[in-house]
Amino acid sequence: MTTRDFIQERIDSLESREVLLDVQNLKTYYPVTGGFFKRVVGNVKAVDDVSFTIRRGETLGLVGESGCGKSTTGRTILRLLKPTGGKILFEGKDITKVSGSKLQKARRDFQMVFQDPYASLNPMQMVGDIIAEPILNYEKRNKQELEQEIKSLLTRVGLPEEAYYKYAHEFSGGQRQRIGIARALALNPKLIVADEPVSALDVSVQSQVLNLLKDLQKEFDLTYLFIAHDLSVVKHMSDRIGVMYLGNLVELASNRDLYREPLHPYTQALISAIPEPNTAIKKERIVLQGDVPSPQNPPSGCPFHTRCPMAMDICSKEKPPLKEVRPGHHVACLLY
Amino acid sequence: MASSTTITQQKKPERSLSPWQIARKKFLRNKLAMASTIFIIIVTVISLLAPFLAPYLSPNPDITKVNIGSMNIQPNGEHILGTDKSGRDVLTRLFYGGRVSLLVGFSATLMVITLGTVVGSIAGFFGGAVDSILMRFTDFVLNFPFLVFVIVLNTVLYGIVDGLWVLIMVIGVLSWGGVARLVRSKVLAEKENEYILAALSIGCSPWKVIRKHLLPNVMSTIIVQGTLIFASMIVVESALSYLGFGVPQTTPSWGNMLSSANEPDVLQGKPWIWMPPALVITLTILSINFIGEGLKDALNPKSLR
Repeated sequence: MTTRDFIQERIDSLESREVLLDVQNLKTYYPVTGGFFKRVVGNVKAVDDVSFTIRRGETLGLVGESGCGKSTTGRTILRLLKPTGGKILFEGKDITKVSGSKLQKARRDFQMVFQDPYASLNPMQMVGDIIAEPILNYEKRNKQELEQEIKSLLTRVGLPEEAYYKYAHEFSGGQRQRIGIARALALNPKLIVADEPVSALDVSVQSQVLNLLKDLQKEFDLTYLFIAHDLSVVKHMSDRIGVMYLGNLVELASNRDLYREPLHPYTQALISAIPEPNTAIKKERIVLQGDVPSPQNPPSGCPFHTRCPMAMDICSKEKPPLKEVRPGHHVACLLY
Repeated sequence: MASSTTITQQKKPERSLSPWQIARKKFLRNKLAMASTIFIIIVTVISLLAPFLAPYLSPNPDITKVNIGSMNIQPNGEHILGTDKSGRDVLTRLFYGGRVSLLVGFSATLMVITLGTVVGSIAGFFGGAVDSILMRFTDFVLNFPFLVFVIVLNTVLYGIVDGLWVLIMVIGVLSWGGVARLVRSKVLAEKENEYILAALSIGCSPWKVIRKHLLPNVMSTIIVQGTLIFASMIVVESALSYLGFGVPQTTPSWGNMLSSANEPDVLQGKPWIWMPPALVITLTILSINFIGEGLKDALNPKSLR
């Protein structure tokens, strides 16, 4: 079986599975306050009308540059932030408006791996307690059994059992990220949002952590929303990839289609920027002009038209919807 | 580092030192802070055991009662530190005065720290309208005319409630503003860390996040602030008693004993009456401040000592 067949088989098998997460027209605005009484004078549209679905067992990658709203999207889906509009359906249940203790209960099924391994672990807690805490939040457990369970979890993520008795400051960045992964796994969640889990790590450690995530996905049938700004990392991890720009999802396609045939001009520019290890291949580099506009005052029409090399007159007037131009390949561009 | 020793002599998994244990080790190595701690312990023990240690036990001659027969006696074999202008043994009053001064200092500090931490952490963690309301209230408390309030309350409640507890309550209720602001600012900085978000995402309630994740990480600041407040509370008690608005004159306290020094005759000619309390107050406050400094060093993970 060739690699291509293998990928095709995985795509087919995923296609048959049910939708785990359905995000519809999600909007998250940060209010900008000013003046004496903290009036709301504007909004930072961090996430502006984003829709996608994730099937069980699938990895959806989200890429985009800093400040494009990919982390905000992830946090809003986990309801760590309050969505301004839209709907989040998890296993068909609407979790958009759930709050308080009901939200606390619902959180059992979706966990997060954080970006900064140095800030995401409580320095005052023993590693064993860090990993036990999510379990103890939901269940009463026998102490010894729990300790054994956590030790085996530590072994599973590639840490020694003795790590149980240590504190986070005694570990390296990569090891801390493994602790963070173990904490996310402790509840056996259905969905894991990985918010740039390797961007703070050394390149040599990155691949170890990425492979660990992949192995765990196979073993526990996990579903990932994988957020990153590194295109090669996303390519390695994802089944499908969404490209975000200024709070909008501009392109959503399978891993293969997106890298082979990017349709949106922004995606084309991003992909042309991936370094090519083979120097014999001459690649044309698309260099975008200008800066990302402020999300507080986004441009009218297509958010990308101010920097788009192929912009037309209509682009500044009409906002293109995300539509399926080829099977499984969605793009928000008026060219198609 | 502790981990290197763990590796060499490892038989069964050894527990690493918790941040608190590391701080304790550092504190024990700090000589000045340890000497101060010992001094404070001695003062506390003497105060607690005053009824057994004091040279002149009540009722005769009663520490609170005037004894005309033995006024203004210079230190001698019978009265080691002499007697005051009412004929009461200074050393006995010093021992009993410690009870009051330390009790006021400790209780008021406990009240101030508790109120300040509760208000500050709630305001800092929840933010928004909760924060605005609580902090405006804190501003109000901070700007309250302290002395006027103490005098008025003392007068109003005189005879109804024990004067000592009136003083403790008044000091406590009026002094937590600074702690609340400090804790709020610390909580604001600390809650930006991803582990707070992580705690929420693993299903902790907001109260549990404050209790188990935020407070342990701002506790070092609170403890250090607490020792400094303890010192200043003893000063406040002394100052108020000196002015006559603090502990009732019948109860001996270090501040009360000092107040006899407002007579020029006593100040100039009878130093044995006011020197001992002045010295003990100064040494106690110095020691508490040294302990505070020591704790600050010990609890700061970046300090080497």
